[in-house]
Amino acid sequence: MNEQDNLKLERLLEMVQKPARYTGGEMNAVVKDWAAVRSTFAFCFADTYEIGMSHLGMKILYDLINRRTDALCERVFMPGADMADLMRAESLPLFSLETRHELRDFQIIGFTLQYEMSYTNILEMLDLSHIPAYARDRAENDPIIVAGGPCAFNPEPLAPFIDAYMIGDGEDVMHELIDVIRDGREAGLPKKDIFRNLARLEGVYVPSLYDVSYNDDGTLKSFAPNDPAAPAVVKKRVVKDLSAAVYPTAIPVPYTEIVHDRMVLEIMRGCTRGCRFCQAGMLYRPVRERSMERLLELADQLQQATGYEEMSLSSLSSGDYPCLPQLIQALMDRYRDKRVGVSLPSMRIDNIVKQSLEETQQVKRSGLTLAPEAGTQRLRDVINKGVTEEDLIRSVTDAFECGWSSVKLYFMMGLPTETDEDLQGIGRLAKKVVDAYYALPKEKRSKNGVKVTASASVFVPKPFTPFQWAGQDTIETVHEKQAALRQYLKLKSVHFNWHESELSMLEACVSRGDRRMGDVIYAAWKRGCRLDSWNEYFKFDQWLGAFADCGLTPDFYAYRERPYDELLPWQFIDAGVSQEYLKKENEKAKRGETTRDCRRGCNGCGLHTWGVCDWVKHPPLRDTDQASAPLFD
Amino acid sequence: MKMIVVFEKAPRLRHIGHLDLMRAMQRALRRSGLPLCYSQGFNPHILLSFAAPLSVGMPGQREIMEVPIARDMTADEFMQKLSSALPPDLPCLECRPADDRHPAPMALLTAAMYEAQLETVPDGLEEKISAFLAQEEIPAIRKTKTGLKPCDIRPMIYDLSLRGSVLRFTLALCEKATCKPDLLLSSLFEFAGMARPRALVTRTQLLGERDGAFVPLETL
Repeated sequence: MNEQDNLKLERLLEMVQKPARYTGGEMNAVVKDWAAVRSTFAFCFADTYEIGMSHLGMKILYDLINRRTDALCERVFMPGADMADLMRAESLPLFSLETRHELRDFQIIGFTLQYEMSYTNILEMLDLSHIPAYARDRAENDPIIVAGGPCAFNPEPLAPFIDAYMIGDGEDVMHELIDVIRDGREAGLPKKDIFRNLARLEGVYVPSLYDVSYNDDGTLKSFAPNDPAAPAVVKKRVVKDLSAAVYPTAIPVPYTEIVHDRMVLEIMRGCTRGCRFCQAGMLYRPVRERSMERLLELADQLQQATGYEEMSLSSLSSGDYPCLPQLIQALMDRYRDKRVGVSLPSMRIDNIVKQSLEETQQVKRSGLTLAPEAGTQRLRDVINKGVTEEDLIRSVTDAFECGWSSVKLYFMMGLPTETDEDLQGIGRLAKKVVDAYYALPKEKRSKNGVKVTASASVFVPKPFTPFQWAGQDTIETVHEKQAALRQYLKLKSVHFNWHESELSMLEACVSRGDRRMGDVIYAAWKRGCRLDSWNEYFKFDQWLGAFADCGLTPDFYAYRERPYDELLPWQFIDAGVSQEYLKKENEKAKRGETTRDCRRGCNGCGLHTWGVCDWVKHPPLRDTDQASAPLFD
Repeated sequence: MKMIVVFEKAPRLRHIGHLDLMRAMQRALRRSGLPLCYSQGFNPHILLSFAAPLSVGMPGQREIMEVPIARDMTADEFMQKLSSALPPDLPCLECRPADDRHPAPMALLTAAMYEAQLETVPDGLEEKISAFLAQEEIPAIRKTKTGLKPCDIRPMIYDLSLRGSVLRFTLALCEKATCKPDLLLSSLFEFAGMARPRALVTRTQLLGERDGAFVPLETL
């Protein structure tokens, strides 16, 4: 950024909310000499600083790139609406936090795709950077724009804008991608050749090297490479050994409060549970654990490098970590004198042990959040949420005995096969949790009184889940169900939260969208949509207008149940879990049959053929009654 | 014992608020491995106190905090450990050990020196400053927690001069009387009948009194 822009920026900072979002200078922020590196990577998070800085994946890749002596990585976030407007009015380009370089100056611009409703922010950020959104409009010397993250598993909705995608774990492929782009640029290759070289990397998808055609009814007719360098199937990348993988410890410590302002220790990646609605549970297979020795070593480094007062354990299902009680005990012992608390997020209710709860309280008490997801055992079986009402009541009773008084319960509404009986079940379950509190003798429970918060999100069918073919409930149906739920949850000590059904409907469209969805996202952005996941900026009407502009309807993407023989836009990606397995699981769901946790025996989801799945060789858990069960169902 | 620490809040960090700065210091102290003292209670926090909160938007060249420590050590050792844990824009400049009974810097603070870098210098400002200071009373409206209050800021202005495009001034800063730089600037330019130019105000030094004269607070 030149001196004039710098002065402009300084002036704008005095006019905007939360100016510290834009000034960087945090402890452990990495500032490198641009003249001393061969690759420059702008890591972009398509939401504001407070949200992006809470994100573990960004910390991992920021650290991983900056460990290279020949490359640098700087952070860029979506500005707040006030700042974005001022920047546009003043023609001040979007800049990186570390050295205030504008995005155009970077060799590579990388977006992490965490949730679909942040996509208009990507277009806003490119526009603020004076970079054409559509890849076809960009010049040879414009930066190469790449993307990764969970939403990249359906890359099509952003395909018109992104030059190359990294599918799966980013740790290894990121290095390969940086090398290929650097070599190509240094050799003066045309972009198209660099893209071809990228497409030859395993786990990389280059949209411009594939052609798409549609049937008259709007469904996908064909999807195929148009270049010999591009593979017909793009296979996701998997980091085999998590203990050996690099992990960030000297992470930037923000000055202003962010959403998750603490150290995060990723104890596992993946989940063996197989909940049928859960995209992360399928995408991040197989489960990989970090060893306890490695975790304690990382915890010490994190603590010393950040000075944070709180540490949280991260994974899709922390309760499944085999040595969880020992790990918690060890962390408590280490940090008692330093007053560092340990909190456990995303606990599954069936394995919260009372001992763990007591340990947590010893230093720091965090909120208790449980996710039964559905109100009846029938529906929990349909979604394969292997949790019973007895599990839940036992867990909350234990928690109440340990001094907890507030519990959050997460549910989903609109799940396949849901009936009014299931919604009533949510009310009954909340009531039972309150009753469990009052069932305890007065001296054994907290004096604060019980508070139960029940949140019901709207089910969004996602790619690579057994429910990827399902139709979503219409907005009208969701409104009716929400009204019913409000009645069922009119209970003493119970508070009910619900989600915007309009936003969930659009999420369903975008997450299962095809390449044409890119035009819809662009049209929505043109109509002023940005920061869509922020209530105050969400413009549903403009989104509907955007669909109309493109001659498409949201119903086609969100509400329609897709037949098994339909070509799905993301089908060319091999996420390890086979389409056949997903179909089988969907059929079992319809019959209300559950599937065991794959630690109790392989279910043959597809990843067992990759040689990355330890459970095939050494199933660590084995119920006596399942010990003789065949390896595959 | 405790340490009296002089540190800088560099211009890059001027938008960080007081509570955020406090948290940043607590985290730096945790990183430093120094033997710290903690408050009692359910959520123990590291004991430290600042001489005076710095307004959002204002850099400070020589800010002061007091850090109680659990074991005696030299200023050098303390400074070395703390410095290694501070980000580049928040450097530790000096530190000095003090007895636990030594009064807190906050209690000894009486005034502060500031510099305002003016974007433009209106013609004739220098003469207006002399006339401004020659007044017996300078009535102004002060914003307080309980509302707007009329006051006389003349006795709280100890010094005011212009050199080049930099206004330097010393203002009262203690429990009994405080004049904020913003109030001085608005009063001055209103008196002068001039549009107030954009200015970056930096607090350059905190002051206490010895034998009736101002001295740097950290020397007390």
